[in-house]
Amino acid sequence: MRVARVSLFMAILAAAPATAQQVVGSVTIDSFRLANGLQVLYAEQHATPVVTVDLWYRVGARNERPKLSGFAHLFEHMMFQGSAHVGKAEHFKYVERAGGDENGSTHDDYTNYFETLPSNRLNLALWLEADRMRSLAVTQQNLENQRQAVEEEKRLRVDNQPYAGALRASLIWPYDSTNCFAYAHPGIGVMEDLDSAKLADVQAFHDTYYAPNNTTLVVAGDFKPADLKQLVTRYFSDIPSKPAPAAVTCNYKLSPGIVERVVADSHATLPAVIRVYRIPAAADGDTPALDLLNTILGQGESSRLNVEVVRRDTAAVNASSFSVNERRGPGSLLVLGIANQGVTAARLDTLLAAQVEAIRANGVTADELTRAKNQYRAGVIESRETTFGVAEAINYYSLLFPSVSDMNTDPQRYLAVTADDIKRVAAKYLDPANATVVTVNPAGKTQSGGDQ
Amino acid sequence: MNRRAGVLALATVTFASLPAAAQTPDSFPPHAPSPTTLGPVRFPPFTESTLPNGMTLLVVENHSQPMLSVSLSFKAGSTRDPAGKEGVAELTAQILTKGSAKHTGDQISALIEGVGGGLSASAGADFFTISENVLSDHADVALGLLGEVSRTPALAANELEIARTQALSSLQLELSQPASIAARFFRQTIYGKNPYGRDATEASYKAITRLDVTAFAKKYLVPSGALLVMAGDVTPAQAKAWATKVFGTWRGVPPPAPAPVAAASPKTEILLINRPGSVQANIIMGNTTYGPLDSSYYATRVAMQVLGGGADARLFLILREAKGWTYGAYAGLSRYRGLGFWQATFEGRTAVADSALAEMLHQVDLLRTEAIPANELAAAKGFLVGSFPLTIETSDQVAGAVGNAKLLGLGNNYVQTYRERLNAITATQAEAAAAKALHRDHLTIVVVGDAQALYDKLKGLAPVKLMDVDGHVMAASDLNPTAAVLTIDPSQIVAHRDSFVVFVQGRALGTQVSEVRRAADSLVYEETLNFGPLGTQHTVVQMDPASYRMRQVDQTGKVNGQDALIHLVYAGGRVKGSASQPQASGTARAITVDTAASPDAHDDNALATLVPALPLAAGKTFAFGVFAAGDPAERVWTAKVIPPDTVTVPAGKFTAYRVELRGGESGLDYFITTTGPRRLVRIDVVGQPLSIQLAK
Repeated sequence: MRVARVSLFMAILAAAPATAQQVVGSVTIDSFRLANGLQVLYAEQHATPVVTVDLWYRVGARNERPKLSGFAHLFEHMMFQGSAHVGKAEHFKYVERAGGDENGSTHDDYTNYFETLPSNRLNLALWLEADRMRSLAVTQQNLENQRQAVEEEKRLRVDNQPYAGALRASLIWPYDSTNCFAYAHPGIGVMEDLDSAKLADVQAFHDTYYAPNNTTLVVAGDFKPADLKQLVTRYFSDIPSKPAPAAVTCNYKLSPGIVERVVADSHATLPAVIRVYRIPAAADGDTPALDLLNTILGQGESSRLNVEVVRRDTAAVNASSFSVNERRGPGSLLVLGIANQGVTAARLDTLLAAQVEAIRANGVTADELTRAKNQYRAGVIESRETTFGVAEAINYYSLLFPSVSDMNTDPQRYLAVTADDIKRVAAKYLDPANATVVTVNPAGKTQSGGDQ
Repeated sequence: MNRRAGVLALATVTFASLPAAAQTPDSFPPHAPSPTTLGPVRFPPFTESTLPNGMTLLVVENHSQPMLSVSLSFKAGSTRDPAGKEGVAELTAQILTKGSAKHTGDQISALIEGVGGGLSASAGADFFTISENVLSDHADVALGLLGEVSRTPALAANELEIARTQALSSLQLELSQPASIAARFFRQTIYGKNPYGRDATEASYKAITRLDVTAFAKKYLVPSGALLVMAGDVTPAQAKAWATKVFGTWRGVPPPAPAPVAAASPKTEILLINRPGSVQANIIMGNTTYGPLDSSYYATRVAMQVLGGGADARLFLILREAKGWTYGAYAGLSRYRGLGFWQATFEGRTAVADSALAEMLHQVDLLRTEAIPANELAAAKGFLVGSFPLTIETSDQVAGAVGNAKLLGLGNNYVQTYRERLNAITATQAEAAAAKALHRDHLTIVVVGDAQALYDKLKGLAPVKLMDVDGHVMAASDLNPTAAVLTIDPSQIVAHRDSFVVFVQGRALGTQVSEVRRAADSLVYEETLNFGPLGTQHTVVQMDPASYRMRQVDQTGKVNGQDALIHLVYAGGRVKGSASQPQASGTARAITVDTAASPDAHDDNALATLVPALPLAAGKTFAFGVFAAGDPAERVWTAKVIPPDTVTVPAGKFTAYRVELRGGESGLDYFITTTGPRRLVRIDVVGQPLSIQLAK
């Protein structure tokens, strides 16, 4: 009797319709395109007098060629060094004086530049972005300064941080540089390529990729569409379009056979294991199930990895999983952990692999699935609370999905995932033959503490 | 069904509706466009009520997203920690959400994460706050958990131990960072006996018991005077219903707030904290100001923004942009429920620290005595007013802003009128506020850095008080210890052979055998070190048996596949020879040595024999000349004797002095037994997880 009641309860829980509550609010997205190909997408939100301007240039590490690695990131730095009417390093001062925030970042498939400001400074953000798109100061001096800054950033964030180098290497080892150079080389670049970057190469990069027809401009927040159209037309319409850049392909095989690597890390004090599995691109039909699987397996304190490997087995300082799939080609799902003192990498890997196999063999519970969906929903809603979150989401769907309006239907796909879907994608993608297993061994002296 | 066609159709329609045969756009404007009209901040309505048990409920409605943020604050924070147990509030907050009468910590995590939410607690100086976010259709689960952890937290002993260990690790990290060291001294000095100046220490964390934590919770986490804020997708009626359901039966009144303690108001002085060898100096200057309701708050805020609010402010523009002395210099005003303070900060190379400090003082004078030019005033106000809406975009942020205003007693329309009040400040008001807040004659200036390099230069700017990082006053003469001849007690050097275990990262990775023997005409120390897979090293040190002066040191071995060699002869006031030092890069460094060495300079390999034979007593410091292969010249090392404590090694427990040897590339801590003939039972390398411990 008791068993029946429990399973009945579980069945009800699993079947609890997502439609019973407001799933995720829809965002109304409008658009226009200039003759030079600049695509503008916008969403109004008048709750607070704030606006975000967010440009995604369709260029990233993916577009780099051998001997020119790290260019997209180097270029992102160059974009803050001044243009015809904006002095060197003045971009951020303009924004800060206006009470705003700004930044940019380089990714595999895109480079974004964004400002969030009080809504009465929309004109400023658009003017700044137009000036650097049309007249960036590509000079030898700027190149030198930013080359140094990028090399220093590599030293600070990658070379001198424990596990950072290993993690980046893990992301590229599943791919073959002959068939998929796009994802088989480090986005931060290698020192030799950065050292030998020439001004002509940088100028060519700008001319090819920083063109209006290769860009999506998104504006979200408190503004009037008529004002937006007038400003964009005024500032951007006479920037000439360029020939469409060459397409990039990534050819890879699913489950070609396990790949094993060992890395020595002189900054690490404990061994670590990183398992990387190839997964499809963001818009693929299997992505929602994979994302929820990722949550159940390794996100948060109640995840399998935390509860079993960290708390029960006390084998790891931390153990988690995460996906890298904001790209048009294949993505990666990582399962990783740092071993506790006295635990070998081999033992940790056995435990991590066992957690993966448990899901492949037995799936997940209805309760876990419901919780993962709730976490997904909360994450989407939180991102919609800010104009920056909305702008980034619009850009994401515009770049990676067949239509930007998929942004409003994607949540339903997540909420429709079943436990069988999770088991199926686990079986298909978390196959040992699809894994790259990286062992990180601490080596040599650790850095001495404290001083600058 | 084809959504894409729909969007494109819309795009076509929209594009077509632009004035098609448009006039050519105006040429690109060469200057940044001016601001258009500032939009009003339509702050969502909020309602306030009080429950019969004295808890205040504030509800801010915002139905744009199905999200709810809840915070429950109590008016007691770290300033209520018992003396000697600083850290009670902090640890209580750390473990509050890790278990209740009804659920274990793991169950709570699973429940709150399971409804797409988060639950955490934190303690500041004035307030203890429990915060949560949740999808609004699961608010009942979240509020239930809030009730459990606030009314019946488990505060389990094992969770307290975990939190204590984490706090001690964080503290250790903090104390290795000069900016944190400076901040601690700064707060202590400006506040004196006022509890806002207190910080947790290793001793205070270790002194905290579970009883302290449960007593804190019982005394201060009570409903009367507490503030419950709910912001987001909720109506006042729903909020009231939940609050009543979860907290209605709760009773309790906190003890009255203690009387405010007057802060110190020391005359302008530089507190120079010695961090030997530091290539950077950290400066913090400032003083206590006033309570949260002072009428000059807005004007002071504007003045501070001009002085050091960001990359557009005076300190940054001068000290970084113009002079290139620093990556960043800033100033700001801090507000507490009691007495607040202002501070300016700088971090830069030692060589420019005195010039930077002089410039900072000059800027303080300017701000107090000269009206701010119109363009700077406009820029500062533009930032403060403009950035405000960015700080209240999410329900979470709104709950925080409204809650904070209420807790500080700032009035119910504080958030709504904030921008207007700032915007109204004039240059005259800002100058007057700066003159009032910045106490030029009672300024506390803390400098953390290499005192040997800084002391004389800073004396010209203000009186200097010299201290070490532990807060002990130092004399200027302590900065330049002169080497003395060591007094060695021969009865403490007996022939012996000891075996040690080498621990790396807490794991036994090798062995060391140390032998002291007297030959006919020499005193010999021989050491065989076996690092396991990392290599071996064999060292022989020969000294004069009567004077203990160095004669010769020879070392052979391989570390990480590289040669580790030393062949040095000490004679006639010089040390000559060669060495090969393994490097992290993989290639050993070959060194030729031919340099002056005073007759009583000791090789660093001889110290294990000689230090135990010094007249050790708690608190004593010795300074002597040391030469280590690889040094360009002889250095002065110091040995400071710390009072004895019990030390545990594989060979057992011993009562030992800890002798801190400093002056070399790595600091060394020698643990030496107190009773003779003294034995060196343990060597720890400072800053590295390497420890050599007596086995037998």
